[in-house]
Amino acid sequence: MITRADIFAIAFAILLLPSLYINLWGEAAAGDSAAILIGGEEYLRVSLTEDQTITIPGKLGDSIIEIHNNSIRFVSSPCRGKQCVHSGWLKEGGEFAACLPNRISVAVSRADMRYDTINF
Amino acid sequence: MTPSTSKRPKQAAGQTPDPIEIQSAALIFKTTRDDHRIAWLAALAISIHILESALPSPIPGIKPGLANVISITVLMLYGWSAASWVTLLRVLVGSIIIGTFLTPTFMLSLSGAVASLIVLWIAYHLPGKGFGAIGYSLLASMAHMAGQFFIAYLIFIPHPGLFRLLPPMMTMAVIFGIVNGIIVNTLIKRLNDT
Repeated sequence: MITRADIFAIAFAILLLPSLYINLWGEAAAGDSAAILIGGEEYLRVSLTEDQTITIPGKLGDSIIEIHNNSIRFVSSPCRGKQCVHSGWLKEGGEFAACLPNRISVAVSRADMRYDTINF
Repeated sequence: MTPSTSKRPKQAAGQTPDPIEIQSAALIFKTTRDDHRIAWLAALAISIHILESALPSPIPGIKPGLANVISITVLMLYGWSAASWVTLLRVLVGSIIIGTFLTPTFMLSLSGAVASLIVLWIAYHLPGKGFGAIGYSLLASMAHMAGQFFIAYLIFIPHPGLFRLLPPMMTMAVIFGIVNGIIVNTLIKRLNDT
């Protein structure tokens, strides 16, 4: 009662399922990423796994953001207080740094969020 | 795509209209054997659909889709167009009776049905020996789930997090697709024996 085409269909399904789990439940989807926001709007979402340095154009000028060793930080920003730079490396899910004068903020999101929200 | 519905007067079936028939067409519908068969099978599918909706499900959104057993059986016995009639009538009438007509539930049900019918059409018209009940049922079940997710993402929940539900749901679709295919095989064997 099973034709050869049936076997192909079952094989296709069995191959599809693991790839669905890997793609949708795997590391990339686990949310080891950071959102870079300009004025509260998400401008860029970056993975924390690949090291890179990004230049983000803000209201005052360019802020430089570095990703290294699963962490993210402000390297420099054209503001006066440098609160954002002093926030240092952000690693835990829910951590947040903002350069308010330049309207740029960075939020780390992970599968297991350490903080739901942070108030200053 | 032969079957004409019982709702349609005869002249719509493509023949030259006979003047006398047109006069009487308003009152008398000529129905074919196919019409009766589709109506009976659709009624059966609707009954199963409603019965199933009354059963509580341990996980929301997961149900066996036993009404699709009828769709696949009809596909195997009477072809794709009869199967699409039965399926679409089932979704329409089933939703009206349950009271979900034009609600999100209905939209998802319809999008799943349409997606599975499209895939079944392709599978039915592929060259070669073709699929058996299990193949059809499995493909239809997976297409149903994929179509629902697509429409759900497009209209109701446009958030990428929605797709994290897809792997377990697709697993259930594969399991129930194969199980339903086995049921169809048994059903057809019984029908042939009698």
